Amino acid sequence: MIVDPSEFITFGDWFPAAAWSYAKIVLVLFSLGLAICYAFAVVRHGPTEAIYIISRAVTGFFSRDGVRISLRRVFALAQLAVKESLRRRVLVVFGVFVLVMLFAGWMLDVENDHPARLYLGFVLTMSNYLVLALAMFLSAFSLPNDIKDRTIYTIVTKPVRPLEMFWGRVLGFVTVGTLLLMVMGLVSGVFVYRGLHHSHQVEATSAQLDPATNLNQHSGETSRDSHHRHDFFVDEDTTAQGKTLGTTNPIVREHRHPVTLQEDGSMEIGGPQGSLQARVPIYGTLIFRNREGQEEDVGLNVGKEWTYRSYIEGNTLGAAVWTFSNISPDNFPDGLMLEMDIRVFRTSKGQIEEQIPGEIILRNPSPTTNADPARRQCMPIPFRATEFAVSEVFVELDELKFQDNSGQLKKLDLFDDLVDENGQLEVWIRCRQRAQFFGMAQADVYLKATPNSFWINFGKCYLGLWMQMVLVVLFGVFFSTFLTGIVALKATLATIVLGMFSGFLADIQTGEITGGGPLESLYRITTQQEADDQGADDVYMRVMIWASDLLPNYPEFNTVRKVAYGYDINRHILMRHAMITFGYFLVLSVMGYFVLRTREFAA
Amino acid sequence: MDTPKTVDLEQQDSSSHVSGQEEAPEPTSDGKGEVIIETRSLTKVYRDFWGRSKVRAVKALDMQVRRGEIFGLLGPNGSGKSTTIKLLLGLLFPTSGKALVFDKEATDVSKNERIGYLPEESYLYKFLNAEETLDFYGRLFNISAAERRSRTKQLIDLIGMDWAKRRQLKEYSKGMTRRIGLAQALINDPELILLDEPTTGLDPIGTREMKELIIKLRDQGKTILMCSHLLADVQDVCDRIAILHQGELKELGRVDDLLTVQDVTQIQARGLNAEAEEEIRKVIERHQGEVVSMENPTSTLEDLFHEVVGETGSSSPDSTDKEDD
Repeated sequence: MIVDPSEFITFGDWFPAAAWSYAKIVLVLFSLGLAICYAFAVVRHGPTEAIYIISRAVTGFFSRDGVRISLRRVFALAQLAVKESLRRRVLVVFGVFVLVMLFAGWMLDVENDHPARLYLGFVLTMSNYLVLALAMFLSAFSLPNDIKDRTIYTIVTKPVRPLEMFWGRVLGFVTVGTLLLMVMGLVSGVFVYRGLHHSHQVEATSAQLDPATNLNQHSGETSRDSHHRHDFFVDEDTTAQGKTLGTTNPIVREHRHPVTLQEDGSMEIGGPQGSLQARVPIYGTLIFRNREGQEEDVGLNVGKEWTYRSYIEGNTLGAAVWTFSNISPDNFPDGLMLEMDIRVFRTSKGQIEEQIPGEIILRNPSPTTNADPARRQCMPIPFRATEFAVSEVFVELDELKFQDNSGQLKKLDLFDDLVDENGQLEVWIRCRQRAQFFGMAQADVYLKATPNSFWINFGKCYLGLWMQMVLVVLFGVFFSTFLTGIVALKATLATIVLGMFSGFLADIQTGEITGGGPLESLYRITTQQEADDQGADDVYMRVMIWASDLLPNYPEFNTVRKVAYGYDINRHILMRHAMITFGYFLVLSVMGYFVLRTREFAA
Repeated sequence: MDTPKTVDLEQQDSSSHVSGQEEAPEPTSDGKGEVIIETRSLTKVYRDFWGRSKVRAVKALDMQVRRGEIFGLLGPNGSGKSTTIKLLLGLLFPTSGKALVFDKEATDVSKNERIGYLPEESYLYKFLNAEETLDFYGRLFNISAAERRSRTKQLIDLIGMDWAKRRQLKEYSKGMTRRIGLAQALINDPELILLDEPTTGLDPIGTREMKELIIKLRDQGKTILMCSHLLADVQDVCDRIAILHQGELKELGRVDDLLTVQDVTQIQARGLNAEAEEEIRKVIERHQGEVVSMENPTSTLEDLFHEVVGETGSSSPDSTDKEDD
């Protein structure tokens, strides 16, 4: 799964720099706003009176309107907004949602190899789009309708502060969206569970005696249910909790089933496991070694346009080296579970069905001076790269060995020998087949901690969608303070679009992506030639990028992909999103206050 | 004003009474009370998007409204009455001059704690019912739940809408909506009440009840500023009036001072025969007076209406209020 580099940063590392940037932007915006307002006031009232007006407006916020907020009034206005939403048939959205869910089962691809991703992606994306559309329409039209109908007169002539008007509406629409999201989440959860839950029966089975243990090894095949079947394997030597347990193997459609050997000799196939999970990846830092073994920041480019991954050449000294921290017996009492999402670039077809061999070496990044050099790294652990799927390698603590000076294999202790005094461990990955390449990015290899609850993770995803909705409501209500309903709707939609494409705009500006703005595009379309002057849209692009930088990056809040791919949404991400949402709340509240404060509702 | 004398034989005080009612008490305002509303060269010019002047709605208005009086703003359509009220409420901002309410700028939100406002049309939320409406506005004044319940009940009883309190406002007639509008203006027991065309859309009984209520509120010590283009309604209730025309103040003063015809005496008497009338005529001529008219007075259409419809016609569930006006 693609992971944005910003996800590797903890909240504690992110916050100081972000807060400083935020303060600078707020200061610039505030100064700009003051200057513009002063200019208008000078034209109408003269310079001296203008200073008085501006200072009175600013001090009024801090001494009067901003501090005498009544929660009762805010809740009253919020309740009004909820009632208004119900009157405007907001439940139709929920009806649409249920209708689509009812027929979704007919439309979704039942032969898909990743059903969990499909189901989760579908329900979460649909919830997201429906709630965002609802939030946009509700927030953009409410205040303009009140002004048009003049019902605002009976509000403004009460002791209602502009900030209370703003917050009341925001709270009301957020409440409606929250309730809708909660219900959608429940329905979605049931839909996903019922869609993925299935069972199999044993269709064929055979047993083979193991002469070493004198116990049977059973293998067999399950029935074909939910458009697939499994092979399974049960070793009578493997027991747990008094039962002989096996499992279906390999992973089919992202899941396995436990297989239990009953006392009467029959097999019982359990429910699916592994399709709904929330892996907790522990990421490390990544550097590369070239074919001569020298350290480099990036690996080879095999000619792909997308440079998210770098490549290492097989059967050379080339390697990808991860350094993990906090490796301790408390965190990894049983061993290391390494998960890898490696891409393979073949320069020769070879045996196309065969997976490319690789090896893993665990190494001490900074051994003590009197440590035995031979104990610095373990013997290579072989593996085979599974393309487009996550492969797992479990490194058991008592299986680590090294080769001493006499050539004998001896045991290594992971924590005493391979983990340095800072708790760090290096993991080297090499490709063992000549003329083939392994492609990896920082997030492609990680240690797997104890997974979290999938359903809690599911809830965290909805929390991210909720924060998106809050942002849309904030912008919608803000624009509605000075624009008509339809224009406020378009402005809110524009913030979403700009926010979604801010990365794209930045890439065009920096030349990462070829292209230009409207003038250059018009020239190209009409003349079918490249523009001589690449800077025709420079001003336009700068303005667009500046605007998109100020707007929230909506895709960042969308953690649907993480949940669909089975990764936990860590708390640092959520805290960052919450802080960003709060930052926009503060700024838009203040801006909304000043607009409402200076607006003549009867004009 | 130099007009001929008339003789009505029934004493009537035309300065402050509602037709068909007993004599109303003298107004408490003698022009010397605390100033509640004050405008100083208040001017409002409507501009277009480019800032060019389009309409000068109010021109250098100077007026004061004192505590405990009913002050009327009169004028034809477009004279600036509603604009003045909106300036006082903070719905509009002055182009120049000042508008002060309770000695605070009209744009100061805190002054709204002490005022109630009945708009020209009852701009209320149609999807709420009467109880919900009053409860909502009560919450905007930070009134506690128990007190809101109590006041809501009192006000609904006052306006006679108990039988329709659970119906949504979209089902109300204009008169019913007007009553709810008045109730929301009184939810906070305000010191100052601004009424914009309060009798618009009301039938004669509703109009009379509204005027009685206005006088009653004045008697409770409240100050009322009302604007209307219905002269009879203003004459019946107001203590002082200001007449606006094209945004300018043309006349201001006490109603009785402005309307009393100083050089005419009016007497009304009952049970006179022709000889008595002739004798009275001669007495007047002997004193160098001029008999302008001596005839039977006419009642008013309003009196006739009340006599026909009756006192209880306005509050019953079977009244015409249930139908569209």
